[in-house]
Amino acid sequence: MIKLYDYELSGNCYKLRLLMSILGVEYETVPVDFYPGREHKSAWFLRVNPLGQLPVVDDDGLVLRDAQAILVYLAARYDTSGTWYPRDDARLLGEISQWLAFADGITATASAARLHDGLFYDVDIDACRAGAHRLFRILDEHLWFGEQEGRDWLCGAAHPTIADIACFPYVMLSEEGGISRQDYPAIRRWCDRLKRVDGFIVMSGIFPASRARAA
Amino acid sequence: MLDQSRNRWHPIAASHDLAYRHVFHGQLLGREFAVWRADDEYVNIWENRCLHRGVRLSIGINDGRELKCQYHGWRYSNRTAGCTYIPAHPADAPARTITNRTFPAVERYGFIWTAEEPSGEVPEIAALPEGDLLVLRGIPVNAAADRVVEHLKTYRFQPVGALDADGAEVSVEAIGDFSLTLAAREGASATRCVLFVQPVDAARSVIRGVLDKQPEADERIAVLRHHNQRLSALRETIEDAVRGEPAPAPIEPVFERVSAELAEMPQPTPHGRKATLRVEVARKWTAADGIAGFELAPLGGGLPTFQPGAHIDVHMPNGEIRQYSVINGPGESDRFSIGVKREPVSKGGSSCMHETVREGDVLAISEPRNNFPLRRDATKTLLVAGGIGITPLLAMAQALHNQQLAFELHYFARDEAQMAFRDRLDTLGEALRPHLGLDPQATGDTLSALFSDYQDGMHLYLCGPGPMLEAARRVAADRGWPESAVHFEYFKNTNEIDDSSTFEVALARSCLTFQVPAGRTILDMIRENGVDMPSSCEQGACGTCLATVIEGEPDHQDVYLNDTEKRSGTKIMTCVSRARSARLVLDL
Amino acid sequence: MTQPKCTDPVILNQWYPLGAIDEAPRSRVADTVLLEEKLSFAVAGDGAVAAWRTRDGLKAGAPVEIAALTDTLPAISAYGYVWASLGTPPVKLFPIPEYAEPDRRNLNAATIGVNVSAPRAIENFLDMGHFPYVHTDILGAEPHTEVKEYDVEISIDRDEILATRCRFFQPMASTTSDGGADVDYIYRVPHPFCSVLYKSSPLDETRQDVIAVFLQPTDQEHVRAHMMLCVLDDENEDKVIKRFQQTIFGQDKPILENQYPKRLPLDPRAETPIRADKSAIAYRRWLSQKGVTYGVIPAAA
Repeated sequence: MIKLYDYELSGNCYKLRLLMSILGVEYETVPVDFYPGREHKSAWFLRVNPLGQLPVVDDDGLVLRDAQAILVYLAARYDTSGTWYPRDDARLLGEISQWLAFADGITATASAARLHDGLFYDVDIDACRAGAHRLFRILDEHLWFGEQEGRDWLCGAAHPTIADIACFPYVMLSEEGGISRQDYPAIRRWCDRLKRVDGFIVMSGIFPASRARAA
Repeated sequence: MLDQSRNRWHPIAASHDLAYRHVFHGQLLGREFAVWRADDEYVNIWENRCLHRGVRLSIGINDGRELKCQYHGWRYSNRTAGCTYIPAHPADAPARTITNRTFPAVERYGFIWTAEEPSGEVPEIAALPEGDLLVLRGIPVNAAADRVVEHLKTYRFQPVGALDADGAEVSVEAIGDFSLTLAAREGASATRCVLFVQPVDAARSVIRGVLDKQPEADERIAVLRHHNQRLSALRETIEDAVRGEPAPAPIEPVFERVSAELAEMPQPTPHGRKATLRVEVARKWTAADGIAGFELAPLGGGLPTFQPGAHIDVHMPNGEIRQYSVINGPGESDRFSIGVKREPVSKGGSSCMHETVREGDVLAISEPRNNFPLRRDATKTLLVAGGIGITPLLAMAQALHNQQLAFELHYFARDEAQMAFRDRLDTLGEALRPHLGLDPQATGDTLSALFSDYQDGMHLYLCGPGPMLEAARRVAADRGWPESAVHFEYFKNTNEIDDSSTFEVALARSCLTFQVPAGRTILDMIRENGVDMPSSCEQGACGTCLATVIEGEPDHQDVYLNDTEKRSGTKIMTCVSRARSARLVLDL
Repeated sequence: MTQPKCTDPVILNQWYPLGAIDEAPRSRVADTVLLEEKLSFAVAGDGAVAAWRTRDGLKAGAPVEIAALTDTLPAISAYGYVWASLGTPPVKLFPIPEYAEPDRRNLNAATIGVNVSAPRAIENFLDMGHFPYVHTDILGAEPHTEVKEYDVEISIDRDEILATRCRFFQPMASTTSDGGADVDYIYRVPHPFCSVLYKSSPLDETRQDVIAVFLQPTDQEHVRAHMMLCVLDDENEDKVIKRFQQTIFGQDKPILENQYPKRLPLDPRAETPIRADKSAIAYRRWLSQKGVTYGVIPAAA
């Protein structure tokens, strides 16, 4: 069975729990005391991931690190619908990669601000918040035009992809870093849509939305 | 400028911002709003604070009919913003005056408009025809509204039809404190753009633009992108310009205090048999054989919040007063719907409603009162209706259905044609279980089977004709249902009232003592001594005139209290019940 | 003598936790903030503790010899934390006798920063009605939403609030339980910004797990929340016990950060209490009676 090295309050770990819940993939959790224990920097964990970062999955001996990389792997391997990471659609794959990289930018700004406010990380908080707002303006604009063009998701498809999952958590958790989403109404609506995907689960800090429209 | 702006209407969202079952997070002049569109299209603009513990309602759940707070699950009704359910106290009906602050909402020119204290109507914009406008993407700006307006005078854009050119002549046609109208002309193309600047807070604004025409379908997105790109660029300029300036302090909104009675977790407020509302019969129809449906719409203003199980007193043109349950589902708060069965031996109530009252007539009604509250913490709820007893249970069924709670509605009726409010029943799906044409014996057997599987946490609600209720309560008791799980409402009290006794009543809190002579009720004498007391049916069925007994032994003659409550001797229905002891002390 | 930024004497003259002793590197300077003032603290190899106003020459992370420090603030070690005061604190900190029991697991579940006033966070800690909605399927689950009657008293001699006979249905009451049950609670508020709860132990029905929240107000609208666990559990690793508590706290965090106004309004008419809020009503009155002004909006006189 897949082993997920996991920390409950990590948005990057949550991405994987969320995708596996949506795909119905079973997994077991190896809790890592990221805070306050800093277990991700412990000797045993550095043997699992020399970068000392969460999450990591171990799927029958294949050990993978990096949330975005693991999303690619899990969707490519376990998504029987073939929609979360459509392997044969070059255009979509390009778009997905673009937004996976964007998700790294959100992690570097919004997630860092959250670590500063909640777990007392020493970062330039003003720069993190300003950087997150710069990205959110871009994201909101993209999603607003998506709505105008009849597109609900980040990429040009009629269904969500792992790009949506990669960007979602640290957008949803941004207020814990003092980054309000009030100025981003299209982002707020997209978050509601993602929360209505079948198999959606929450993490600490993220509330459920109302139910989807009856089919 | 910001001081007077409280009286003005401002757009605070685009119509398209209010997506299906979404809660929009708005703000105007420092005050935050939770803005949501109900499934019936009504737009609610509320203070963004749950009255209980101040949690933002913009993180709450819009279920299409009610807004649910994430913190404690309090539910607030569409339109009225009244609290309909407090899960921590499932057996109680919330005081209906727990009502969130609402602000006026008008949808016009593709925007949602509001004002803190509006004077007048939403402004007429000369440049904008009604319909067929193009609403631009709102651009939030970190700058004060007056600075934004000042910069917008320099806004340059191409008219629709000439996007590719770059020489349009742009003129300012009108300018106000919070808006300006610009016109761009290039060759034969001309477009007006009206820009509203929403003062979000002292140093934050949103530019909300609208064009006076809808471009051709293939040009629409290009026009939207054109303005988005140019307004975004202008935003950079504005934000750069104000960056070095001292930011004005955020506006501190003043929150209204809750009423004194709510601050102390009050008893229900006393009020007598008063018809405080005027309604118009907006619709009258045949809801089933012998049952007329009435939709009652308010004459000006809105209606108060109701809860499932609530009833209203209807004061009829002939002077009679009758109680009817509100059959509405949750959030249907624009009108009250009731069902009136024509009684074969009518004392003038049902026949008046059937024969005399017509669409367009004005009636006086009381505020809704809930003496038959619905718990929503049951593991499963059984609703059992006989005939017109469907009415309170139909409201309950719709509430349970909306929250996806486990329930069954068992509806005993003579035949299909006698089943009332078919359209509402049909929305309940599998939960509706009709039982048609059963004789008393077969009814008893069916009830016996229905009640056979009592488990802890289940609750039963009964409403129907007296004999059926008696039978159902007996069967439930036999089948092991505790009295605390069996809730019932009688249409009327068919007990023979014996009012021959004479006794003394003392009102502990009012420091009054008086005699109740034969032929008079406790309620009469309470009122005669100047103490206001709510009542409704005045025959011991509805539960409104309940009082707490501190001392003495009541002589119960009502059908509202259950046997345990009667035995405990701590409650009394003052409209019919009397005293076995020489003296009763009531907590009034 | 520096003039303290906090001018509320009741709040100034309390003990506050600064950090968990287990997490502090020995004899090195750690920096923090208390009541808007920059403080430093350190723990010596022998467990001695010290706290002082942050000064040049003693940077965070630098080695420090505690015994040689002068001009320090009152500081003690208690319940696994360094406590200090910017004023004149009481001789003793409030008691938690269970902490000394030999078979207890005493842990700092985490220290987490929250954008909320300390009294709002205390009220949330005392609240049971939110369990089914905020801690769904862990501390509560619909349809079991009722807050049953409980008792609240303000103990005059101990100057603390006590809520007893509290019960709430929980589908998964702790890491050691695997079914739903009514769980008994007792809540104490022995300090304006600290609260201790006792909850029936799934292992031993005669004893209770103890969970406390000790708040370090960094300013009127921000706290560092230190969560202490003192539990009976001979099965789970520390990190599993911590994970459970962090999950719970992480669920409360967005609620706390979305409460407005951020400071706790003491005007009884500012918000709408219900019977389930008896302990919160007592807490607000208690703060009013003490004359607390820091982190609250005092009722108009």
